[in-house]
Amino acid sequence: MSTTTPADEVRDALGELLPRLRRFARVITRNVPDADDLVQVAVEKALARAAQWQPGSRLDSWMFGIMKNAWIDEIRSRRRRERVHAPEEAGAQVGDASAVSRDIALSVQAAMARLPEEQRMAIALVLVEGLSYKDAAETLSIPIGTLTSRLARGREALQRLLGDDRSSR
Amino acid sequence: MKFSDEMLMAYADGELDLVVRAEIEAAMARDPKVAEAVERHRALAARVQSAYAGVLEEPVPERLTGLGARSGAAPIVELASARAARDVRAMPGGWQLPQWAALAASVVVGLFVGMLLMRGPALPYEETATGLVARGELDEALTSQLASAAGHPDIRVGMSFLDRSGDYCRTFHMHRNASLAGLACRSGEEWKLEVLATAPVHQGELRPAAAMPMAVMHAVDAAIEGEPLDAADEAAARDAGWRKKPDMAE
Repeated sequence: MSTTTPADEVRDALGELLPRLRRFARVITRNVPDADDLVQVAVEKALARAAQWQPGSRLDSWMFGIMKNAWIDEIRSRRRRERVHAPEEAGAQVGDASAVSRDIALSVQAAMARLPEEQRMAIALVLVEGLSYKDAAETLSIPIGTLTSRLARGREALQRLLGDDRSSR
Repeated sequence: MKFSDEMLMAYADGELDLVVRAEIEAAMARDPKVAEAVERHRALAARVQSAYAGVLEEPVPERLTGLGARSGAAPIVELASARAARDVRAMPGGWQLPQWAALAASVVVGLFVGMLLMRGPALPYEETATGLVARGELDEALTSQLASAAGHPDIRVGMSFLDRSGDYCRTFHMHRNASLAGLACRSGEEWKLEVLATAPVHQGELRPAAAMPMAVMHAVDAAIEGEPLDAADEAAARDAGWRKKPDMAE
């Protein structure tokens, strides 16, 4: 324990990051138990592969990337199982902003919950976590143009859901 | 000068360079509608921010703070027991522990098997009159493997999408002697390699798109029509043999 390895560094830094990891998880999973499970899984994974983290690079982006992958794996396996058990309901979880009347203003969290996964992740990283477009695109492993359009569409949908779609066009 | 809403959004997020910023600021001064649009983006950003600010104030559950303090031996086992003890919710699809364990194990096994397989002489692509075409294990992985699934130990498929001509394209990582990444698009019964580039190595582990080389990203940007396929569409496209879509009806 006398020398500091990258793993120690990750472990130390993760402690401070936990509140933000929980926040990011809350945005993407939409509920507390899933969010904390996701943080737990991601932290375990990060510790197991701490040697891969490059000291000096952003630990938060790295963690968000791990969390995003873990969550996508999770929802995919849930969907597979849903398709087996209840084919009719499989699509119902995907948020459909257009299905909600624009007259009803929702709380921000409820509105966010209705966004498609990918738009919610883009918003979580940029608006909630404050990452630059470049860092967010790298975290999500998508081109920056794709990130920008997800962000724009997510915001449009949010405006609509929150009932302040005052665009005068 | 007219700015797209996306531009104004990027401005509100502090993303644009000085020159464009100055142009937008001039436009805001001239046209209240432009200023309003920027303000709307800022207000929404602030609203979303504050909606989740409370999470930061919550006490972090002990099971999470405990993780960081531990000297991380055998984390997968610890996670499994933590979960077993915690009485997982009974919804049909809670976190599946064995999956994580299997994933971790498959990386290790994959490395081994991969090293053995790599001695194999056949290249997974061939130079034809029309360009490079996927062959063998790459062809097989592109045709049958889903992005979420662990299939071939050394080939991972990243995202799938439709290109402008309605053909399916898929990005992939392949680790043979070197780490390669590329974009393949369906052409008849074959996968044509549009781009093949060297990918950064991550200690033998294939990290699908995390380390996608810029050349591949640019090719995706240039080719993609709409959004990448989600898991359901991806599976449907595979089951339909990646045949060109005549129409995009749901």
